Amino acid sequence: MSDRSTISLTVNGEPVTAEVEPRQHLADFLREKLLLTGTHLGCEHGVCGACTLMIDGAPARSCITLAVACDGAAVRTIEDFDDDPVMAELRAAFSAEHALQCGYCTPGMLMTARDIVTRLPEADAARIRVELSGNLCRCTGYVGIVNAIQRVLKARAGNPSGA
Amino acid sequence: MTSGIGARVLRKEDDRHLRGRGQFVGDIKLPGLREVAFLRSPVAHARIKRIVVPEELRGKVFTAADLEGVKAIRAVSALPGFKPSEQPVLASGKVRYVGELVAACVAPSRAEAEDLAERVEVEFEELPVVADMLAARAEGAPLVHEQWGDNVYLETFVKGDIATAAASAPVKVTREFRTARQCMSPLEGKGVVASWEPRRDQLVVYTSTQQPHIVRTGLSECLGIDHGKIRVIAPDVGGGFGFKGILCPEEVAVAYLARRLGRPLRWIEDRREQLIATANCREHHYVITAYADREGKLLALDAEATVDAGAYSAYPFSACLEAAQVASILPGPYDFPAYQCRTWSIASNKPPILPYRGVARTGVCFAMELILDAIAREIGREPHEVRQKNLVRPEQMPFENVTKKHFDSGDYPECLRRAVTAIDLEGVRARQKRGEADGRRIGVGFSIFCEQAAHGTSVYAGWGIPMVPGHEQATARLTPDGGLELRLGIQSHGQGLETTLAQVANEVLGVAIDRVNVVHGDTEYTPYSTGTWGSRCMVMAGGAVARACQEMKKRVLAIGAKMLQASLDEVKLAGGEVVGPAGSVSLAEVARTWYLRPQDLPADVDPGGLEVTTGYKPVRDSGTFSYAAHAAVVAVDTELGAVEILDYVVVEDGGVLVNPMIVDGQVYGGTAQGVGTALYEEMPFDEAGQPQASTLADYLLPGATEVPAIRIEHMETPSPYSEFGQKGIGEGGAIGPPAAIANAINDALAPLGVEVTETPVTPRRLLAALAAARRSAA
Amino acid sequence: MKAARFAYERPKSLRQAVERLGDGGGFVKLLAGGQTLGPMLNLRLVQPDLLIDVTKLSETTGWSEEAGAILIGACVTHAMIEDGKVPDPTGGILPRVAAGIAYRAVRNRGTIGGSLAHADPAADWLSALAALGAEVVLVGRSAERRVPVAELSTGVFSTVIAEDEVLRAVRIPRLSRHARWGYYKFWRKTGDFAEAIGAALHDPEREAFRLVIGATNGAPLVLDGAALGVSGSALPERIDMAAIGRALDAHGFADDDYGKAVHLVAARRAIERARRT
Repeated sequence: MSDRSTISLTVNGEPVTAEVEPRQHLADFLREKLLLTGTHLGCEHGVCGACTLMIDGAPARSCITLAVACDGAAVRTIEDFDDDPVMAELRAAFSAEHALQCGYCTPGMLMTARDIVTRLPEADAARIRVELSGNLCRCTGYVGIVNAIQRVLKARAGNPSGA
Repeated sequence: MTSGIGARVLRKEDDRHLRGRGQFVGDIKLPGLREVAFLRSPVAHARIKRIVVPEELRGKVFTAADLEGVKAIRAVSALPGFKPSEQPVLASGKVRYVGELVAACVAPSRAEAEDLAERVEVEFEELPVVADMLAARAEGAPLVHEQWGDNVYLETFVKGDIATAAASAPVKVTREFRTARQCMSPLEGKGVVASWEPRRDQLVVYTSTQQPHIVRTGLSECLGIDHGKIRVIAPDVGGGFGFKGILCPEEVAVAYLARRLGRPLRWIEDRREQLIATANCREHHYVITAYADREGKLLALDAEATVDAGAYSAYPFSACLEAAQVASILPGPYDFPAYQCRTWSIASNKPPILPYRGVARTGVCFAMELILDAIAREIGREPHEVRQKNLVRPEQMPFENVTKKHFDSGDYPECLRRAVTAIDLEGVRARQKRGEADGRRIGVGFSIFCEQAAHGTSVYAGWGIPMVPGHEQATARLTPDGGLELRLGIQSHGQGLETTLAQVANEVLGVAIDRVNVVHGDTEYTPYSTGTWGSRCMVMAGGAVARACQEMKKRVLAIGAKMLQASLDEVKLAGGEVVGPAGSVSLAEVARTWYLRPQDLPADVDPGGLEVTTGYKPVRDSGTFSYAAHAAVVAVDTELGAVEILDYVVVEDGGVLVNPMIVDGQVYGGTAQGVGTALYEEMPFDEAGQPQASTLADYLLPGATEVPAIRIEHMETPSPYSEFGQKGIGEGGAIGPPAAIANAINDALAPLGVEVTETPVTPRRLLAALAAARRSAA
Repeated sequence: MKAARFAYERPKSLRQAVERLGDGGGFVKLLAGGQTLGPMLNLRLVQPDLLIDVTKLSETTGWSEEAGAILIGACVTHAMIEDGKVPDPTGGILPRVAAGIAYRAVRNRGTIGGSLAHADPAADWLSALAALGAEVVLVGRSAERRVPVAELSTGVFSTVIAEDEVLRAVRIPRLSRHARWGYYKFWRKTGDFAEAIGAALHDPEREAFRLVIGATNGAPLVLDGAALGVSGSALPERIDMAAIGRALDAHGFADDDYGKAVHLVAARRAIERARRT
């Protein structure tokens, strides 16, 4: 049994090959090895959602996902969404609705918000709250976050092409 | 559109966080960095017989014996009779709570450091544990600090003449209340990166703190190093709420070892450490008797309050601040003549406590507002009517209450009236009569409180804790391109001070807020400050920025007048320009001329320059008093003990609002935390002092479905004492909810004879109360 | 906290995985999504020597049909079931149960078989699938066997699965058009572990009635129609709640007033929901 494994994956569109300790979770791999520190660790039990990022296009908890199990996967972190049109709308809405204070939950919150906007275009406030239940925010009371997501959904409903 | 005081300006700090480019302490990497994991005590109270560090771990594992010259953390109080504790950086001789530091383990990765910790053997001789504050107060309890002879940090007594009321009052209501121990739970935990920098011969400590200067002072005391040889930097800080207003033993240990090992070290607190081992908060017990007339007018209040302050007095707020505040603020926003209160700050085999958002006010509001509802039920009146009989009236302002608190301004009765209207009390009463199709019971509850904030020397001098706030200082510096740098010793960790302090500068100088750079959280660049706590920043730092900018304005005008060849009384500052009778010059032109083209200025120009440091204190430093009424409608499922909040209203007066959007954010966020206090959050300990909630699956933080769509209404009564009439308002949201929600639950369940008196109101507690009511009815 | 050291292997086939399990060599755990194992590893509550990752095997990620049932691969995720990406023989029950598991980010990686094999009493699938009469397909070195989900768990985190067996798939019987279903989960907050679960199935064409009470302190409590006096094609207006109470007493709730109360309510509400459907 080896205590190191070699993995190949893409991170933010770039191919990466690296040696990892099997016990290292994906968030630590990204933060410590690739210095992508936008993915935050809030609990490391999969509860708070701060470490949420995209694996193969779907939001996932990077603190309870082993890096070694991501061989062959496509991982996207918050740093990769500067040019993403949905995320640009969400960024503007988060700022306008004061949906962030300390900013620690924000990257994970945006990942979930983007998933809601793209997967559930019809979501109302109640559904948005249910979908957000896996992302804890200790600062905002969620009011601004729910409003921001609603704002983006409304804007997109009025402009279905998303352009 | 203006971007000065009162403008809903979007935050300057948002963009970096929205792109994942914030920089938190865990994001800091230095060359050669090593990670630290701490071996912590698995038992609550024991003598350390022996620590066995395997030979091959020498130089990687450090115990108390290795910390040469490191002093214990001592947070004293000048209140008479206070017994100080010595909090060792690493335990020596004894451990006093589960999670106390025993050894520091250094390795290339955190995982490997934890591997090392597993190889250290500690032999404990276990001692009897005292994990409950009332048991700790009792005669013969095991002693946390043997030399004290008891477990009382401090007992205080406010004597009042309650005998007359006690003898004659027609209404007497006695209740016992408890509020659970909580963890403040910012999303980001504590963390520290320390390195010794030979070039400056200086210890550089990045730490997740609300009080960088106080941490520097604490480190200086513990390590015996001059202040000048320590630089403390608070980078982006992921929430505080009081949790990061502390000098942690971890900070001292990591700083010491970084210097000793000559390499950068990092410790990042994980969630388990945060929950079980770092400081907790909020654990109060009350026995209160209220005396009133048949209209509900309070005649006297007789109270006993006990606070479980844990094993050590935390630096700098001490173990007694919480209970001392209880004694002074229990009377709340009410005017009544007689008051007596005895308090105990108790040591137990649990982590120390810290003041959490709202500090003692949350517990006090819970106790006081539940007592008022009990009186209302006793005399058959609506709870808001009883409150109206007792609230301080606007024509009495400024008002000195029974404990000599000086309420600055406001209309408390109007605030409550608005809450009653906004929550639609009549509608709720009608709905209650109709009943619910699903069988749940509806209830409505209110709470009202005032929040002393930004209180300074005159208040803290009496408590005599390690830091007493004085004048708050700010530095303003105009850069050669006309930008403005503001340097402050406070720290912004979500409050948006990089934006609101820029708004203050804009108000005074007219400089565009995107040209204002707020520098904070670094002892190297900023004037000394006690930091960010007590809802003080907008009053104190805001006032300091205003003063510095006013002084800057004078200097800019003086230079501008010379440049315009006008006299001083002919020029004014408008739109970011010095305007004279025959032309104007921009701030940038003034600055460029001063710094780079001095030859264009006459020889008699004032040499003071364009960098200003001033100190500020409000006209009175006894504090601003924001206030709020909270109203909740709940539905109680009496079969499951589940509570749903159907509606929630906050009517809040924070004086003049610098940025209404940010104030709303503070109120929403505080209220959400108050919902957690009311219904979810609890850090229980068993009889052996073992913490029973070590993950966020056990310690429940409210999520988006647990927090209602909170509605806010604002009143805006200026404080007569602050620079712009603003009041501190950061904590208020967290104060009202436990009382309003518990009162709503009690309103719903009154027909069943149930009255809850303890937070959080969990299904387990509620079903037990319902069962007890059924038994006593039978 | 960070996980203790372990080795990791990703076998190429189910057979390889089974053989590797049988090799012995310390404490071996299967990884099938890891959404519950992950936290336990991070907290060092579980310290395996070797983790065998079966999540990507073709044998565990597909589905197939057999007479009167659908076989769902063990490593099909909750999100795939929620989104209707696998056939649903239950008329919408499976997607609804799936949608209530934890949070979407967890459902994207957590798997139906992983959840069953982990046997957390508070998990949804253990109770729901027991009520639906599902079976698990266990593959060992020499044989494959099927075990009803109702008999899978033997206590907290413990099952009848042998050390050298892998849970390959879940067999879910097709419900009749007349089947009635009620599911009630009581939780303190959305996505949190359940305090109590009630799952009730009444399918007059297949068997009369089954009630499962989950989130207990051990295996779920499974009561059939006979135990509750329910027979025939109609769900009676009154179910004998006292009998359910006695069963709960015998199932570890005799001295737990709160636990008994909330489990009884969850059971009754599940039955009421079944009656209303």
